[in-house]
Amino acid sequence: MQTFAVEVKGLTKKFGSFTALDNLNLNIALGTVYGLLGPNGAGKTTAIKILCGLLRPNGGEGYVLGKKVPNRSILPEIGYMPQETALYLDLTVHGNMALYGDLFGLSRSRIAERESELLDFVALQKWKDSLVSNLSGGMKHRVSLACSMIHEPKLLFLDEPTVGVDPELRAAFWEYFDLLKKKGVTIVLTTHYMDEAQHCDRIALLRQGQLLAEGTPGDVIKSAGATNLEEAFLALAKREDGRS
Amino acid sequence: MNIHRALAITRRIFRGLRRDRRTVALMFLAPIVAMCVFGLAFSGDVEDVKVVVVNLDAGFTHPELNVPVSFSQAIVSNFDKEVLKVDPVADVEEGVRLVREGSAYAVIIFPERFSESLYMKSQNPSYSGDTTIQVREDRSNVNVANAITKSVSDAILKTAQDVGQDLPMKVDAEDAIYGKGAKFMDFFVPGIMAFVVFMLTTLLTLISFVGERTSGNLERLQSTPLRESELVVGYAIAFSIIGMLQTVVLLVIGVAAFDIMIVGNIVLAFAVIALLAIVSLSLGILLSSLAKREAQAIQFFPLIVLPTFLLAGIFWPVEAIPGWLRPLSYAIPPSYAVDATRSVMLRGWGIGEIWIDIVALCGFAGAFLIVAILSLKRGRR
Repeated sequence: MQTFAVEVKGLTKKFGSFTALDNLNLNIALGTVYGLLGPNGAGKTTAIKILCGLLRPNGGEGYVLGKKVPNRSILPEIGYMPQETALYLDLTVHGNMALYGDLFGLSRSRIAERESELLDFVALQKWKDSLVSNLSGGMKHRVSLACSMIHEPKLLFLDEPTVGVDPELRAAFWEYFDLLKKKGVTIVLTTHYMDEAQHCDRIALLRQGQLLAEGTPGDVIKSAGATNLEEAFLALAKREDGRS
Repeated sequence: MNIHRALAITRRIFRGLRRDRRTVALMFLAPIVAMCVFGLAFSGDVEDVKVVVVNLDAGFTHPELNVPVSFSQAIVSNFDKEVLKVDPVADVEEGVRLVREGSAYAVIIFPERFSESLYMKSQNPSYSGDTTIQVREDRSNVNVANAITKSVSDAILKTAQDVGQDLPMKVDAEDAIYGKGAKFMDFFVPGIMAFVVFMLTTLLTLISFVGERTSGNLERLQSTPLRESELVVGYAIAFSIIGMLQTVVLLVIGVAAFDIMIVGNIVLAFAVIALLAIVSLSLGILLSSLAKREAQAIQFFPLIVLPTFLLAGIFWPVEAIPGWLRPLSYAIPPSYAVDATRSVMLRGWGIGEIWIDIVALCGFAGAFLIVAILSLKRGRR
C-alpha cells in the first residue's frame, strides 16, 4: 500500500556551477498539506519542477504517486500552478480554463461544471468572460490556481499560491485546501509567508538547496527553541552557518 | 499523438486571435500592402526619364525623290514616349551641362550631316561619314541608363523598318509556350504569396513561442498530458489555415485589382503554401529557443526577411544571382515554394512537374518539425 504521495531521495540539481538542490530527502504523506518554506533561491521551485517532470535531476530520485519521475503516466493525476502567471492574456478566463479542460480530456459538460465550481471558489464567477489581460494581478493568480485544478488532480503542486492575494481571500484559500485535504487530495505548496505555514500539516525549511528542518510546524519551532517559524528559520540558519 | 489535444491548441490560437485585432490586421493587411506597394513600385518599367537631344543634323534632300529627309528627327519621333521625356537643346555644351547638374539623365547627340551620311552609307558601305549617335548618360543609375540605351536602339530599329531598311533577320517572341501575355504582376504574385506567408508565419510563431516560454505557459502545458508533438501539430494546423486564408486574400486582390493570370490548379498552389507555412512555423519555434525575450527575438527578423527577399526568386530569378551565391537560394525553403506556386499558376503545371519542390518542402518541414519538437523537449533538462 502506497502511503506517500511524494518521496524524494538524495535529490540534487545543478544549473552550471550553481547548486539549486543539494541531496534533498523528503517524504510527503498522502492527503496532507505540505509546505516548502525558505528564502528565494532555496530550491523550492526547482524541487516542484522536478516532481512535475519539467526538469531532470542530476542525482537522486523523486517518486510521485509511487512512480519515478519524470513519468508521463502521473501527469493526469497532478495539478501544477507555476509561480509565473502562466495564463494566456489574449484569452478570457473561460478560454484559459477550457484549454486546460480540453488538454486533460474532460467533456464539454464536465468542463462547464468544474469551471463553475472553481470560479465560485476563487470568487471570479462574474469575470468569466473577461480577458485575462484586463484582470488585476491577484485575480490572475486566482485564475491560475483554478486552471491547475480543473481536472480534479489527486496531487496539487502550488508554487506560491497566495502571493498577491488579499488576507480575506487567503483565509478562504486555506479553508478550501482543508476541504480538498478531507477529500483525500495532497497539496504541496511553497510560500514566503511563515505565519501561513502554520496551516500546513508538515513543513520543510529549505536553504541553499539543503533541508534545514522538517516536521510539523510545532516540532520545527520547538527544535529551534523559538516562538514562531520566522524566528525558528533564522535560528536554524545561524546554527547551520556556525557548523560549516 | 492525441488529435483532440492538438486541436485544443489550435482552438486556443484562434480564440486568442479573435481578441487580438492588431495581429489579425497585420496578418491580412500586411500582405495586401506588400503586394500593392511592391507590385506597383517594382513593376519593372522605367518611365518618364528626362533626356535632352542635340540634333546637329540639318537633314538633306533625297537625291532621287527630291524631298527633304531627316533620319535624326525620325528616330527622335520613334522614341518610346512612356520611357523618355525628350527636350531639344541647341548645342553639346548645353546638353552636357544639363546632365552634369542633374536636370537630365542623358544627352543624345546626332552628328552633323547624319541623315546624308546614313543615306550615302546605304548606297556605298565604304562611305566614311559619321553616323554614330552619341548617348552620353548619367550611369550613376544603371537601370535608368540601360532603359535609355534600349529605347534609343529600339527607335533606330523601328526607323530602319519605317524606311524599308529592315534587317533580313527577325525575332518573334509573341507565341510563348508558357505565360503568354504575362505581365510583371503575374510573375510577382506567386512570389509575394510565398514571401508573405513565410515571413509572417515565422515571425508570428517566433514571437508567440517566446511568449509561451517566458510567461510560464509552456511549463504549465508541459505539466499536462499534452505532448510536445501535439503542441507543434496544433500550431501547424492553425498556421496552415491562416497561411491559406492569406493566400486567398492575395489571390482575390491579385485577380480583382491586377487581373493576374492563373492557368493551373489553384488547390495545388494552396497545398504548397500550407506546406510552406508548416516549414515556417517549425523554424519560428526553433528560433524561439534561442531567444530569451521578445526583444531578442526581434533581432532575428532581418535574418529571416533579407535572405528570403533577396535569394528566393521573388523579384528576380535565381539565375540572376551570382553562381557562388546560388547554393544559398536552394538552401532556403521559400525558393521551392516560389518556384512551385509560379509553375502551377503560370505554367499550369501539376504535381507531376513540381514534385521536386514538394519533396524539398516536405523534407524541410519534416526536419524542422523534428528539431522543433526536440528543442521543446530540451527545455526539460
